[in-house]
Formats: sequence, C-alpha cells, structure tokens
Amino acid sequence: MSTSRHKQSPTSGGPLRSLSLHTIVVITALFVAVPLVYAVLGGFKTTRQLSSNPIGLPDPWMPENYGGILASGPFWRMLWNSTYIAVLTTLVVVAVSALAAFVFARFAFRGREALFTMFAAGLMFPFAVAILPLFVLLRMFGLLDNPLGVILPQAAFGMPMTIIILRGFFRAIPGEIEEAAILDGCTPFGFFWRILLPMARPAIATVSVLAVVNSWNQFMLPLVVFSDDGLFTIPLGVQQFQGQYATDVARVMAYIVVAMLPALGFYAVAERQLVSGLTAGAVKG
Amino acid sequence: MASIVLNSVDKIYAGGVKAVNGLNLEIKDGEFMVLVGPSGCGKSTALRMIAGLEDISGGEIVIGDRVVNHLPPKDRDIAMVFQNYALYPHMTVEENLAFGLKLRKMPKSEIQKRVNDAARMLGLEQYLKRKPAALSGGQRQRVAMGRAIVREPQAFLMDEPLSNLDAKLRVSMRASLNQMHERLGVTTVYVTHDQVEAMTLGDRVCVLRDGVLQQVDTPQNLFDNPVNLFVAGFMGSPAMNFAYAELVRDNGGASVAFAGYRLPVPDSTFAEKPGLDRYIGRKIILGIRPSDFEDSGSASGNGAGWARIPVRATVTEELGSEINVLFTIDAPPVEHKDTVAAANDGDDEETSLPLTGDKSLWTARVNARSHVRPGQEIELVVDTHNLHFFDVDSGLSIGHEANIGR
Repeated sequence: MSTSRHKQSPTSGGPLRSLSLHTIVVITALFVAVPLVYAVLGGFKTTRQLSSNPIGLPDPWMPENYGGILASGPFWRMLWNSTYIAVLTTLVVVAVSALAAFVFARFAFRGREALFTMFAAGLMFPFAVAILPLFVLLRMFGLLDNPLGVILPQAAFGMPMTIIILRGFFRAIPGEIEEAAILDGCTPFGFFWRILLPMARPAIATVSVLAVVNSWNQFMLPLVVFSDDGLFTIPLGVQQFQGQYATDVARVMAYIVVAMLPALGFYAVAERQLVSGLTAGAVKG
Repeated sequence: MASIVLNSVDKIYAGGVKAVNGLNLEIKDGEFMVLVGPSGCGKSTALRMIAGLEDISGGEIVIGDRVVNHLPPKDRDIAMVFQNYALYPHMTVEENLAFGLKLRKMPKSEIQKRVNDAARMLGLEQYLKRKPAALSGGQRQRVAMGRAIVREPQAFLMDEPLSNLDAKLRVSMRASLNQMHERLGVTTVYVTHDQVEAMTLGDRVCVLRDGVLQQVDTPQNLFDNPVNLFVAGFMGSPAMNFAYAELVRDNGGASVAFAGYRLPVPDSTFAEKPGLDRYIGRKIILGIRPSDFEDSGSASGNGAGWARIPVRATVTEELGSEINVLFTIDAPPVEHKDTVAAANDGDDEETSLPLTGDKSLWTARVNARSHVRPGQEIELVVDTHNLHFFDVDSGLSIGHEANIGR
C-alpha cells in the first residue's frame, strides 16, 4: 500500500524522535559514568602515570593502591563509624518523622497546616549557615567528639523532607481502611503500627535510602564535631588521605572508589523496595 | 444479636447542613433492614452513626439494651462491610479475617476455628494464604464479608457492599447475602441506592430523602402502597407513570379522567382508600405502575376491573420475557418536587425523548408475546384495582393509612 509508510504507531513518533531520546539518555549516562570510570581506572595507576597518561588505560596495572587501602586498619574503623552513624540517623529520622507525618496526615486539629508549613520551611534552611550555632549548642551539651553530636543534627535536618514525603503517602491510604481498623478494635497508634506502617513500606524504604545516603555523604558536620580521628567517618578519611598523600592522587582515587562501594551496594538492595504498589489490593483496583 | 433503635436521631454537619433529620427507626432483632434513597439522602450517614464513625448531633441510638451514643466503635459490637472492601493489603486473607479477633485477645484455637468456618461458608478456603491483590473483586468482597462474620457481632452494617461488582456478580452475591442472612440470622442494616437490591434483600425497607424518613415497610407494601409521590416514583423500575387527572362520579360510577382517557374506579378502591371520595370533582395526580398494563391481545385479564386504552407505541424495549412499551399521552408531565427528586436518582434505563408541547411519556410493561413494534397502534388494558392517587399539593398518597389526618 502506498500509505503504509505513514503507518507509524501513534506513540513512537518516528525514528528521529527515538534517536534523539537515545542521545539524551546516552549523554546523561556519560555525565555520570565518565568520572566514575576515570576514578576506577585512576586507582589502578601511579600518580606519575596519571600525569603522563591521564586518559588511557593503566600501563602497567597497579592493584597496590586498592590493596593498601583495604589492608589498612583506619579505613575499616571509618567504615564502621560511617555505617552506625548512618543507621542510627536513619532510625531516628524515620521513627520520629513517621509519627509526625501520621499526625499531620490523619488528624484534623487547629493550626495543623501552619505547623506543617513550619516543618516544611526547615527545607529551606541551609546546613552551612546553621553550622556555627549548632557547634555552640553541641559544645554546650557536651556532644562534641560524640557520635550523637552528628546523629541528632542530621536527623533533625532530615525531618522536613521525610515528613513531607511520608505525609503524602499516608494521606493516599483510603479512609475506609482506617475505619475498618477502628471497627476491628485498633487504637490510633495500633492503626499506625499495624496497618499504616506496613502499607507504607515502599515510602519508608524511600526515605530510609535518602537518609542513609545523606548521612553517608555528610562531610561538614563530622568535620566540625569530631577531632578524635578514632571517630572519623569515611568522607573525613578522604580529606585525611589527601593531606597525608598530597602527591599520591592515585591512592585518593582508589579510596573514593572503595568508599563508594558500600553505599552502592546498599542502594542496589534497597531499590527493590522502592518499586511496589502502595495499596495494591486494598480497595477496588 | 440485638435490635437497633434510633430515636429522633439528628446529624448536623459543620456549616449547618442537616444530613439526617429526626430519624426514628426500629430494627428488630435478626431483621434485614435496607436503607435506600437517592445519593445525599443521609442513608450512609445514618449507618455511620450506628457504627460510631460519625458523632450523633441529637437523639439516641440503642443497640440491644445499651445507649451507644458515646460508646467508641470497637465497643459497640458491630461489624461493617465497606463499599470498596477496605482489606488490609499487606496481610493474607487469613490474617485479614483474624485481625479483629487477635486484637480482642481471643485464644488462637478459637480464632483458627472461626476463620476456618467463615472461609468454608464463603468458599475462600483455597485463598487463605493469598494477599488481597491476588483476588478478584468478588473474592475480595467475600473476604470483607468474612471479616464481619468471624467477629460474630450483634449486627452487620453494610455500606453499598455490592456496588463495585459487575452486574452478574452482583446478582449472585445478592443471593448469597440472602442465604447468609437466613443462616446466621444476624441483625443487618444495609445501605444502597439501588432499589432492586433494596426490594430483593430487605425484610423491610426504609426510604430516606434529604435526611427525612419517608416510609418503612416490607418491599411489597412499599411497591403496592407507597406513602407519597417520592416513594412511588423511586421504588420500582421502570418508574411509576404519573398524570394530572380528575376524579368524577356520574351515574356510571366513579372514574378518573386524564389525557382524553377515562378509567373506571372500582368501588373497592374507595373502601380501601378512606378519604378518596372527598376528592371527587377535584384534581389529583394519578399513578399507574408499568406492570399494571398488559397488551389486550395477549392478556388473559379480560375480566372485571380491566379498562382498555388505545395508544401508539413510540419506543419499545425488548427484555426477552417482557417488552417495555413507551408511549406518549396528551397530558402535561407531572412536575411535582417529589417526582423530580425521585427521577433524578432512579435508574438510568428510562429513555428521555424530547417531548413537544403538553405530552408526557409513559411506560407499560407487557408480555413479550405482544410483539409490538415502535409506531404500532396497541390496545393496552389497565388493572384498575391498582391505581394510585396522590394529592396535588402535598404529594401524599390519598387514603394511605400513614397519611390519614395529615
């Protein structure tokens, strides 16, 4: 048929369009991948190789950088510090925010929106500006050189975003389910604990990932709070290596790559939790 | 099991909207009571007040022998089935059924027994380990019922539980609901806007309109003796036909005249409807059920009390066993506030034709043997024993026992 070449599926919009979409994806991916690949490869070079041959493959391959880092005691201690600070921060921020979001989502009371706006305004408060008063406050409470000095402020700054996300999810859960639970004999907290939290698992997973990643990457707060290098977290370690091996850029690259791996691994596991329906099967679909 | 009594119950929402207005209703122990009415008539609000999900603005609700006005829902010993099922999606069917019992600290063996009994009764045994997402709509509805059954409550409250199902499933679920009620004998309050559901399920049906009780009676009585124009127009499908008419009496006996037709009114009607003779010589609203018509050709009812009227069929709806014949009569359509309200939320199956001038559209339901086609002349017979008469101003049914003295 002479008209057959016009018969495109209505959504495809022609090869040109799909080409341009691919181009966008590839360019975006390059933005992310090139520095990563450069860091991974750089870790296998010596610093001299890096300056003489910054682009090409390592020649010869030098696994000593990675080996040295993995064999060093301070690295594992910092990894442990980062991990438990991240875990505790996440527990605190999710537990507190979930309760607050539950109240904001399911109860009507005077001044609710004003209060919520106040929480949301916390989003606009830059961390760097808060660092000086925060330092004074932490010194007053004796929390300097104490993991809690990092965990509590991190949790506080994580709350606005977490509350906003969780409130949206909690609101989306149909009122009938709450009423059914009430008739089944649930108290409001019982409903929160037995019905709402399990149903909002994807949302909880999402905010947990955000909290962990935020805490993992936090540099400024640990820098200010910790002076004892036994408490240092991974990002502080980067700075230390940098000072110690100011000429050995290759080793810093290897360190960055190794430091990134736990966060990547965690995300790979948690990501499955993020993609699943919120209320599948609860009500008429 | 228990009776439920509502004593002049009011519900006034913030903003002054009166959703339920002085509702008096007694639901007997073991009775299946259906609350029916167009949307926004307050039927769901009434149910939610019985459940305790809404505060009561005035009056008193008694379940069994306890006034429950200030009792929290969980202590009222009632179970509710929601329109959209409201199952807990993260629990299996078994956990869904057991949840309420677990919260009430019932021993494990008893929970297991009740869950199994309910699952057997509802045919859910093979689905016990599944999550609601893996069930069809009908199965989810059954789980929702099961959650109510295992509680063995004083009363079931159901808020349009079938309206999310497709038509065929709704009919079969209706039958199993009936069966279930027969078997368990638990007092049930059932809310629906579907008058067919109301007629088929209810021991008694309560018709509400704008928060005001219109009539409570058995389905057959509602159909045969509606208390006013609203109930008459709302119950029954196709809806009752109305026309302004004049009641006259001459030496041939009493008759009712409308649109050029004249139907004799049997003396027995005057005996059944005290006060009707006071309307002789006055204007009334006449109501005739579509099912009180028959095609004279195929009708056996040639006896006394059947009057003949010739009409021209405008539209025919063939339903297999019956044919709905739509025809116009030379009379202005009745535009009483009651009939308008009833028609607004009735079934949509009425065809609305653009009517020219003073014509109104009537429906007759005749036997399928009639084979009438659109445009054909047909002679209908009317069962004159079942004529309905309404006051033009008040819309009340003339001679209905509830209206005497009003």
